[in-house]
Amino acid sequence: MSRVEIESEVTGNVWKIEVKIGDKVETEDVLMILESMKMEIPVEAACAGTVVELLVKEEDVVEEDQVVAIIET
Amino acid sequence: MKAAVLREQNKPLEIEEVQISKPGPREVMVRPVAAGVCHSDLHFMDGSYPYMLPTILGHESAGIVEEVGSDVTYVKKGDHVITCLSAFCGHCNKCLTGHLSLCQSPEVSRTADEQPRLHQNNQPIHQFLNLSSFAELMLIHEHALVKIREDMPFDRAALIGCSTTTGVGAVFHTAGVEPGSSVAVIGCGGVGLAAINGAAIAGAGQIIAVDMVDSKLELAKALGATHTINAGKSDAIGEVMEITRGGCDYTFEAIGLKATAEQAFKMLGSGGTATIIGMIPVGTMIELHGVDFLAEKKIQGSNMGSNRFRVDMPRFIDFYLSGKLHLDEMISKRIKLADVNDALNALKTGEDARHVIMFD
Repeated sequence: MSRVEIESEVTGNVWKIEVKIGDKVETEDVLMILESMKMEIPVEAACAGTVVELLVKEEDVVEEDQVVAIIET
Repeated sequence: MKAAVLREQNKPLEIEEVQISKPGPREVMVRPVAAGVCHSDLHFMDGSYPYMLPTILGHESAGIVEEVGSDVTYVKKGDHVITCLSAFCGHCNKCLTGHLSLCQSPEVSRTADEQPRLHQNNQPIHQFLNLSSFAELMLIHEHALVKIREDMPFDRAALIGCSTTTGVGAVFHTAGVEPGSSVAVIGCGGVGLAAINGAAIAGAGQIIAVDMVDSKLELAKALGATHTINAGKSDAIGEVMEITRGGCDYTFEAIGLKATAEQAFKMLGSGGTATIIGMIPVGTMIELHGVDFLAEKKIQGSNMGSNRFRVDMPRFIDFYLSGKLHLDEMISKRIKLADVNDALNALKTGEDARHVIMFD
């Protein structure tokens, strides 16, 4: 088993978190939606696995390259 | 209503039947009459900018107010409007310091708990930039539109909704070009041509248009360029240096590429400012020669021309109607919604200035 860090590609606000800890996800599943300069930007799972950590909550501000979730494969 | 839906990146838009909600208290239903097909739509289609799918693209439109929410007093049914993606809340720090185009408040969107503005069979369709104008109706926040005079043709008004505001605004507001100064614009699509036109209105002395398509360079001359450079046939930086005898006061990059952003900086003279208008793909880094900062060269971004669109757009209409702003030449073809994919493909080739969808 390995832990994969999921990063935000952009600076923005967390608008909606689409998963909860323990959820099984597939590659490219949307984990959360960020809002940045009026754009709705998805943060997608980079691999299949289980969401074991969510490091942000809705309305948080996230920075570019910030780790926002961890998936265990 | 019919709408052009993007379901998968790099796939054509599908014309589908989509449902639209009733206006909330501060929302306005707009029936678009004209919608420009903009190069920025392509960035979201090809994934260089990720976006939630499915979505309805389109963000440059003008139309008629169909219905208003209970708290809306600014417009009424029948008013002519231009829509703008720079929806502002009006009370955040950015808005209150005059930087409305940088407002990031989520309150101009619906919350995650509300019924989405656009949906299909009870599944949400994500609204694109709070607008989604490739559709027969738009439901938007009252702060995402401006009322306009009724003698302004809708197709040309639509262009003011994005490309004109972005290009002219970058010159007027972001860079603050002074009369007599030297300007180079890299990329002569809709936004670049608008920047050239804006530089001419601002009274720039030298206006150098740079592109790789001769027909666009000809159009640039008609809009005010004093010099043109085909970057595919000559050394653009070297020519700019020669024309300006040492570099420009202002350069504008209107493509969205690392190489051209770096060229915009290299074309500057001492104290010059490069303004990046183009949407550089997420994750792309640009490199500058550090020693150039000793010559007080500057580089900055520009988002939607740093607009205050409720002030700017009526002024741009006045510029158009008085002959200063050239919009007639910017429309290469008027099409139907069903032909939107042809318009997007034409943008990829770079030959046409702009297609505008005309709704029945």
